[in-house]
Amino acid sequence: MNVQATAETYESYVERLPEGSAKLDIRNLNFYYGKSKALHGVSTAFGEKQITALIGPSGCGKSTLLRTLNRIYALYPGQRAEGEIIFDGENILEGKQDLSALRARIGMVFQKPTPFPMSIYDNVAYGVRLYENLGRADLDARVEESLRKAALWDEVKDKLHTSGQGLSGGQQQRLCVARGVAVRPEVILLDEPASALDPISTAKLEETLLELKADHTIVIVTHNLGQAARISDYTGFMFLGRMIEFTTTEQLFTNPRGKRTQDYVTGRFG
Amino acid sequence: MKSKVLIARRKAGNAIFVGFCWITAAIALAALAAILFSLFKDGIGALNLQTFTMDTPAAGSPGGLRNAIVGSIMMCALAMVIAVVIGVLAGTWLAEYAGDAVYGKVVRFVNDVLLSAPSILIGLAIYQLLVAPFHGFSGLAGSVALALLATPVVTRTTEDVLKLQPSALREAGVALGSPLASTIRRILWRSANTGILTGGLLAFARISGETAPLLFTALNNQFFSLNMTKPTANLPSVIFQGGLSAFDDLRNLAWAGALIIAVAVLGVNIIARTLARENRQS
Repeated sequence: MNVQATAETYESYVERLPEGSAKLDIRNLNFYYGKSKALHGVSTAFGEKQITALIGPSGCGKSTLLRTLNRIYALYPGQRAEGEIIFDGENILEGKQDLSALRARIGMVFQKPTPFPMSIYDNVAYGVRLYENLGRADLDARVEESLRKAALWDEVKDKLHTSGQGLSGGQQQRLCVARGVAVRPEVILLDEPASALDPISTAKLEETLLELKADHTIVIVTHNLGQAARISDYTGFMFLGRMIEFTTTEQLFTNPRGKRTQDYVTGRFG
Repeated sequence: MKSKVLIARRKAGNAIFVGFCWITAAIALAALAAILFSLFKDGIGALNLQTFTMDTPAAGSPGGLRNAIVGSIMMCALAMVIAVVIGVLAGTWLAEYAGDAVYGKVVRFVNDVLLSAPSILIGLAIYQLLVAPFHGFSGLAGSVALALLATPVVTRTTEDVLKLQPSALREAGVALGSPLASTIRRILWRSANTGILTGGLLAFARISGETAPLLFTALNNQFFSLNMTKPTANLPSVIFQGGLSAFDDLRNLAWAGALIIAVAVLGVNIIARTLARENRQS
């Protein structure tokens, strides 16, 4: 794939969010895996207490963009980001960031469920114990609250002390959501969280996300256009490492401005 | 039209290959069975209560293996403590932190060299380092020699099993705000515990029958002693000396010792695997 990329080839229609509503403001973000450039000058913003969906064909940079937001890429030498990601008035790509503290504020749920090899209770309490010194009763309450938020409580309340790895795939994924929610992050990033789930588990997860929106800013990468349309407020369409179109979900799916966006959401390519 | 000749030839080739595999597996198993058979035949007859209550005798008088069993347990236990602490930490560093760094490659290479180093060389090295300067054989020197044999095994298996852990698990821990070090200790080690345990068992199995490094370090001791700064009795040396002896009772004692080592390795294996399985299910 050796597409000659010029600025003219990629008309971009990125809508600015209303003043003051952005939780994460991304300006001219470039990303490199070693020498290969994966994001080309992405500028966009994610609204506070909204769900933003990122869509686009495989390899377009959606996950890469998501992975810059909590700087998880910093685990791997050779991966680097340039530009600005403004979070609470501060560029998180610069200066001496306490990455662990940052990640406690910007949580992440992955494509495959990743329960830790410990009990359901300890899975949820793991992150909490790192940052808060809660008494037994308070911790119990936090675990219950988190599992309720992730719509998992009723299914596991009688077996909190059995292994989290014994749950079904859908339950494991909701356990991961509960674990992420338990540390009370401001932002939750989800990287194709439903791609390994059956339709019923997916519906439950979507319901959960809609409820979490009340307290959290949510950014979700998805290949499922229906899912993006159902749950998100804003949607960004990416292609070859660029943000091609970013606008309200309604507008993007019913009346996209870009030709490529239109082709993609109507299923003509992708 | 499909060629029947081609198909027939392939089937014949397959049959020959499978037959060859069968034969070689049978040869290996037959050798193992022969060893186990003679071990049990001669070993069980030599075992009795005295074996565990009396110390190694002079030729012609009654005796047992109490001092050698206790000495071997003490030296192997200390060696395993040293090997597990160093090996698990070194393996973790190699898997999680070393990356492509030159130092990491050097450590990995040296570890692989140690892994296949002849045990008699290790014994000689420890003799020069810990026996000659202090003018005395000791159980401690024996433990260090055994630890040097066991550490590379633990290091290698720890590195391998940690590298087998899904990177998503590591990322999930870190994404929760857990620093990498605690993610490794509290999530990755736990997830890899069966593999790390297996490495420890392999190492234990390797050192429990080692004689050469002990001849230069722990030597042997006719009497019961818990003092590891002095020469320490051990099963492999008793087997070595007894097996070469002209006296029937000492030769029998050697068979009993060999059987005890084999059963101990087997027993530790079974116990550890059962524990690991239960740990996994809980």
